[in-house]
Amino acid sequence: MARHFELELDHLRTMLIRMGSLVEEQIDLGVKSILECNASLAQIVMDRDKKVDEFDNEIDKQCMRIFALTQPVAMDLRLLMAALKINNELERIGDIAVNLAERVKPLLENADFVKNTSISLMAMGARGMVKDAIDSFVNNDPRLAKQVLESDDHIDNLDREIFDMMVGKMKESPKLIESAAHVLIISRHIERLADHATNIAEDVIFLVNAKIIKHHADDSA
Amino acid sequence: MNDTMTTFVATRPPTMEPIALAQQHKMAARNVDAFFGKLQALYDVCLDISANRVLAIIGPSGCGKSTFLRCLNRMHEVAGGMMTGSVSLDGHDIYQTDAVLVRKRVGMVFQKPNPFPTMSIYDNVAVGLRLNGISSKKMIPEIVERSLKQAALWDEVKDKLDKSGVSLSGGQQQRLCIARTLAVNPEVVLMDEPASALDPLATAKIEELIYELKKEYTIVIVTHNMQQAARVSDQTAFFYIGKLIEFGETKAIFTNPTKKQTEDYITGRFG
Repeated sequence: MARHFELELDHLRTMLIRMGSLVEEQIDLGVKSILECNASLAQIVMDRDKKVDEFDNEIDKQCMRIFALTQPVAMDLRLLMAALKINNELERIGDIAVNLAERVKPLLENADFVKNTSISLMAMGARGMVKDAIDSFVNNDPRLAKQVLESDDHIDNLDREIFDMMVGKMKESPKLIESAAHVLIISRHIERLADHATNIAEDVIFLVNAKIIKHHADDSA
Repeated sequence: MNDTMTTFVATRPPTMEPIALAQQHKMAARNVDAFFGKLQALYDVCLDISANRVLAIIGPSGCGKSTFLRCLNRMHEVAGGMMTGSVSLDGHDIYQTDAVLVRKRVGMVFQKPNPFPTMSIYDNVAVGLRLNGISSKKMIPEIVERSLKQAALWDEVKDKLDKSGVSLSGGQQQRLCIARTLAVNPEVVLMDEPASALDPLATAKIEELIYELKKEYTIVIVTHNMQQAARVSDQTAFFYIGKLIEFGETKAIFTNPTKKQTEDYITGRFG
């Protein structure tokens, strides 16, 4: 027989999974709106952000309720801790999707410029990291979480590559400075997406293995 | 010697030589099996109790935690039980030592406050001293005051020391019992669910008291309250059907227990 407490935990996990699914869609649409310079897609992303924020508040409240009423320990405590942090990461990912969407309007006049960069490749990589990080939480899979951690270097390299390329473009032609600056900002946003995915992966490893690995800490919880 | 005393079986030779493994610990249990008649209540329990720390013993009803506690000051034999194995205090086997002396050094506080009903607050604390042969009219009032202060009760009772012990509230009565235990200057204090009959405020006072007392005493507490164990103890031992399943630092037990049975019990998934 499922305990009342387990139903509360299941509800929390379900909300996190639904929120994860929503922010994945937000990233997809945000990136697509940039690559296609599609303002209506961008508007959808901005409008839907309030749903992400609603999940954020609901999950916070659910965690607080469980902490207050059940004083969880051990695995349950780690789930609550991880849920609070993953919720925060997902909310920030949702904000980044909005930040990407907000770049569409300034880029409308120079739509092809972004397509000729590695932004698409970088976005695909970061999007994959977010998906894997969420999947690792859904499936309690620390091995997949570890793969996410290992992918972050690739995104950082692409970010540096784009930075060098955009600086070169700016030096080449002052007319490209504005577009190149937007691409730099987009690249930085995508790099942050990967960082948030990494944080989620670290939380999953804490949840399953009770090991704190962030900031290279190697002591157990 | 009464009948119950004769049922005790000592497996170690009658010697006062320290048990090598136990030297850095205040108390040490080795291979303790405890019985009530043919019923075995503890199986091969080995556990070290560190000085000036609080050890919480947790586990479901009937797991042997109170039996183990009573083995630590030879109360188990008073309850009609017998045990094998050894329990040492500062490296000396308590079952090779006079039981009264053991219980003076290893005091006990019970689940239900049990002040002597016909005695005043003062006499409840002083009685142990008198039974231990202290009759000094200077010393007894000093020790009574010190013990009541240690039990965080002095300020509440200093103006009514001649009132009956049972006139106090439940929480105060329990602190009076703690003062009575402390009066004979024990080194280890055993507490068998000391706050289970108290309201949250009185419980908080007892828990705060335990935290203060560990500076001077070694404390072993049996509790059914997981949060209480997590709050007050430095180390936790989990017992199940007479066996010590897991023993470790409380912060590790309550965040990342190594045994599934422990995890299931402390998270309420047991059974």
